[in-house]
Amino acid sequence: MRLFIMIQGIAIRESAGVGDQAQRRLMRGVDDLDFFIGDEAVDKPNYATKTEPPLNTPENREYLAEIMFETFNVPGLYIAVQAVLALAASWTSRAVGERTLTGIVIDSGDGVTHAIPVAEGYVIGSCIKHIPIAGRDITYFIQQLLREREIGIPPEQSLETAKAVKERYCYICPDIVKEFTKYDADPGKWIKKYRGINAISKNEFLIDVGYERFLGPEIFFHPEFANPDFMQPISDVVDEVIQNCPIDNIVLSGGSTMFRDFGRRLQRDLKRVVDARLKLSEELSGGRIKPKPIEVQVVTHHMQRYAVWFGGSMLASTPEFFHVCHTKKDYEEYGPSICRHNPVFGIMS
Amino acid sequence: MPAYHSNLMDTNTKLVGNMALLPLKTQFKGPAPKETKDSDIIDEAIYYFKANVFFKNYEIKNEADRTLIYITLYISECLKKLQKCSNRNQGEKEMYTLGITNFPIPGEPGFPLNAMYAKPVDKQEEETMRAYLQQLRQETGLRLCDKVFDPQTDKPSKWWLCFVKKQFMNKSLSAPGQ
Repeated sequence: MRLFIMIQGIAIRESAGVGDQAQRRLMRGVDDLDFFIGDEAVDKPNYATKTEPPLNTPENREYLAEIMFETFNVPGLYIAVQAVLALAASWTSRAVGERTLTGIVIDSGDGVTHAIPVAEGYVIGSCIKHIPIAGRDITYFIQQLLREREIGIPPEQSLETAKAVKERYCYICPDIVKEFTKYDADPGKWIKKYRGINAISKNEFLIDVGYERFLGPEIFFHPEFANPDFMQPISDVVDEVIQNCPIDNIVLSGGSTMFRDFGRRLQRDLKRVVDARLKLSEELSGGRIKPKPIEVQVVTHHMQRYAVWFGGSMLASTPEFFHVCHTKKDYEEYGPSICRHNPVFGIMS
Repeated sequence: MPAYHSNLMDTNTKLVGNMALLPLKTQFKGPAPKETKDSDIIDEAIYYFKANVFFKNYEIKNEADRTLIYITLYISECLKKLQKCSNRNQGEKEMYTLGITNFPIPGEPGFPLNAMYAKPVDKQEEETMRAYLQQLRQETGLRLCDKVFDPQTDKPSKWWLCFVKKQFMNKSLSAPGQ
């Protein structure tokens, strides 16, 4: 398998260092795909794995199958749900006996964050929750904070400066008041300097990076800081999903979950919300019903940023993969409708 | 965690309107009793200010919270004035002037939070409230100068002035444009 293509990103394992360039040209349509796969795929066709978001329509899958089999001439195709691949990627941080395709996947990218419950490899579509806070909102918030305090950032570059600051210096803290106090007491230790270059004058500009280090990612837990219409912290949203689908295993995926201590803070806040709820139900029943304590576990691992790609890569490297792929022969015989259903595989029972 | 609330409420505290008349560590004259513990409500408000100012919604858990809210809003007013001061001396003078300037109290039309604060019932309570609020304002202004002015440069620190535009609960003690 030399090529793994995703609707939201392209990762090419062994060929030309297209890497970054690929990322910037994402999602602009099928014609662009031609540019990347180009001659390689047509000359030496390999089995392909494509990914799709949860709740994708069967018609989209047929359209996809048509493109892959007709334009790119792949001998076999498997279309996987992104959340399921993210769960598979989490196997890197677990013992062999604990590998499961059941869990709640928190996928946070640039545009939107989803909490997706998956049971035995099948997504429970009606319980998916969306949170309108993601990477882009954190960048805007940081941009605003920097603008109100720092001078010297060229206005056209303020967004990219904010993005660089976010990726390099941000982390999640356990308590914002204590963090503010830490920064005020010992600025030399906590306040960092960021050096940027003015694109027009080519001069350097230097800014201080302070409170935004922990305030930026804090908007996951306090959306009201950045969004006047949405107030539910991410831990409350995940708690709602847990109530609808009792799954205690939570897996993170996507670039915006990469903030240091994101998993720990989510686990701590979730535990508080869940414990409070159980305690309340015990009190309301007059002590008669003692609910079983729910042990919430948030799993983090090295490949979180590209969890979907990594999961796809892992599953496609198993021998089972060839059995579940739809072949070109079948496509020619039966048509694109064979791709409407892609069976789940990979669990060792 | 939600916004930060006051821990200083206790059953013995007197109320003025529905605000707690909490003790203060201050030299300014007024109805507040003398605070014997290490920190008083003004210390608490300043400690929580930078975090609380980001919150647009605030749930009042006890009467001390109302005192906390008032001080938090007043700190924002002080920062607006301190922004224009070039040294600590000028800052302290501005704070003194701001503290004693005529200000609206709960029940009057200029007060922004009439929905949450009770109007004083009689002339005497009104006087107490006005005197207490003035005491709060003067002491807060003085303590802020301590924090905001950088001892080395004698200029207000940008780490405080960056909060000038932030409005706690989207409210402000002064009318828009001031």
